[in-house]
Amino acid sequence: MRRARRVLLALLLGLGIASGAHPALVRPLAAQPAPAAPLPPPPPPAPGNPAAARPPLVAELSQERVDITTGFSGTELLVFGATERLLGGEGGDDVLVVVQSGAEPMIVRRKIRVLGLWLNGPSARFRQVPGFYLMAGTRPLREMLPPEEREAKRLGVDHLPLQSLGIQDPAYRQALLQLKQSARLWHEEEEAVQISGARLFRARLPLPAATDTGDYQVQVLLVRAGRVVARQELGFRVERVGAAARIADVAATEPVLYGLACILLAAFAGWLGSVLFRRG
Amino acid sequence: MQVYLPIAEMSVDATLLLGIGFGVGWLSGLFGVGGGFLLTPLLILVGIPAPVAVASGANQTLGASVSGLIAQWRRGNVDPRMGLVLLVGGFIGSAMGVELFAWLRRQGQVDLAVSIFYIVVLGSVGALMVRESVRAILRRRRSGGPARLHAHMWMHGLPFKLRFRKSRLYISVIPPMLVGLGIGVLSAVMGVGGGFMLVPAMIYLLGMPTSVVIGTSLFQVVFVAANVTLLQAVQTGSVDIVLTLLLLLGGVAGAQFGAAMGTRLRGEETRALLGLLVLGVALSLLWGLVATPDSLFAIGPIPT
Repeated sequence: MRRARRVLLALLLGLGIASGAHPALVRPLAAQPAPAAPLPPPPPPAPGNPAAARPPLVAELSQERVDITTGFSGTELLVFGATERLLGGEGGDDVLVVVQSGAEPMIVRRKIRVLGLWLNGPSARFRQVPGFYLMAGTRPLREMLPPEEREAKRLGVDHLPLQSLGIQDPAYRQALLQLKQSARLWHEEEEAVQISGARLFRARLPLPAATDTGDYQVQVLLVRAGRVVARQELGFRVERVGAAARIADVAATEPVLYGLACILLAAFAGWLGSVLFRRG
Repeated sequence: MQVYLPIAEMSVDATLLLGIGFGVGWLSGLFGVGGGFLLTPLLILVGIPAPVAVASGANQTLGASVSGLIAQWRRGNVDPRMGLVLLVGGFIGSAMGVELFAWLRRQGQVDLAVSIFYIVVLGSVGALMVRESVRAILRRRRSGGPARLHAHMWMHGLPFKLRFRKSRLYISVIPPMLVGLGIGVLSAVMGVGGGFMLVPAMIYLLGMPTSVVIGTSLFQVVFVAANVTLLQAVQTGSVDIVLTLLLLLGGVAGAQFGAAMGTRLRGEETRALLGLLVLGVALSLLWGLVATPDSLFAIGPIPT
């Protein structure tokens, strides 16, 4: 996190904008593509239209890897960047950050009452459910984008492409949304992107203790007058490292060996306990 | 202090696990049982997924029972021959139980099945223990108990008789093998060593003298729990060694305090208390099934 602050400071001083940016990744949705030219702090010798040469949006992540060690209890990432036009206020641009983990199939079961007991009853299967979904913006999403644009760009938990197999009851989809949100795995933060100096923005991305391993996609969108005008895609990877990774590896690849090791370790711990605590 | 459990894929408070281990170990030292029947429901209660709780519970039971077995073996309270017969049944039973568990998991009913197993088994064992110990206490008050070693029943007419010298029994191997089998199945599904079921079964069904019951049941529990651990690791891959070791760390210490306290309690009172405890766990699990859940839906990964 300290490293991230330093980078941010560098940005604030106007030194890091060009070096920290990946102009090739910035895709302005305007008609003419931006030439990928690095940008020194003084006005560049712009050929033609200088506004088109500047990337409208530049963003970076504080880290590209999140390590899950045996002491992992959740962490926080920082996404930060700068925009070419002024941010916030009346008529200013807005920034929207969407973090998403890889989609996985999930099953939603309805509980039914049989003979007074609650059992797992009928179920719907959803083929592609992001394990984690976080959205943060400089303003609440509803104020920034009209419903048509939100739906077209599939922004917000209400517009996630969740197709269910089997039962087509909207109650299952609703339940999935609710349970994911109450587990804090999907959420839309209101005004979580902070603006400084009308050009720089930063947002904290909290990852819970139950964060899944895998690749995460971070989209930074520039919103102007109710439309997404530019976006940049970033990503990070969550990995188990150290002892946790080795244990999970061995358990998956050598289950017999792992099982035997568990038996021996537990027996040894029990024996050690009886020796240590023997009375008299 | 948070600790990441690599198999459960979640981060939990280590002091909470140590505390659970200590509490369960204290009770198991007090009552002379492995304590798995308390541990697994508690783990599920704090949010450990049921498969991991069951598999790691069996692994923990193994460790906890080893220290008890060593102590009992030194005092000569183990009947190895009876233990081996029980074990043959136990191995077959636990293999069947792990298959049953994997099948239940595919059906999406594993949580329900584990709960129902617990309620039925704990409910009946607890009720029997309370009834028996209350009777024993009343009988003692009236003074003069029956002197007979054990009652003769239909099962003493079965073939394949074998002499169990330590247990002072000459009975067929079929009843102990069936007892072992049944407990093997239950221990695989419930993640328990089965001591709390085995001890009454040995006393009331097989008619073994109380002195060798605890040691012999620990003998059987150690090996059945080892077998269940291995089978669970291979079949469902849900044994979490970090979880197991944390629980053992608390458990081993707790067991010593419990054992020291247990020597001050009378046998009947101990059994009555244990019976009440077992009944209490069964009732709270039953409440969990009967009470209307917060959400009428549950989500989970699609089982493979």
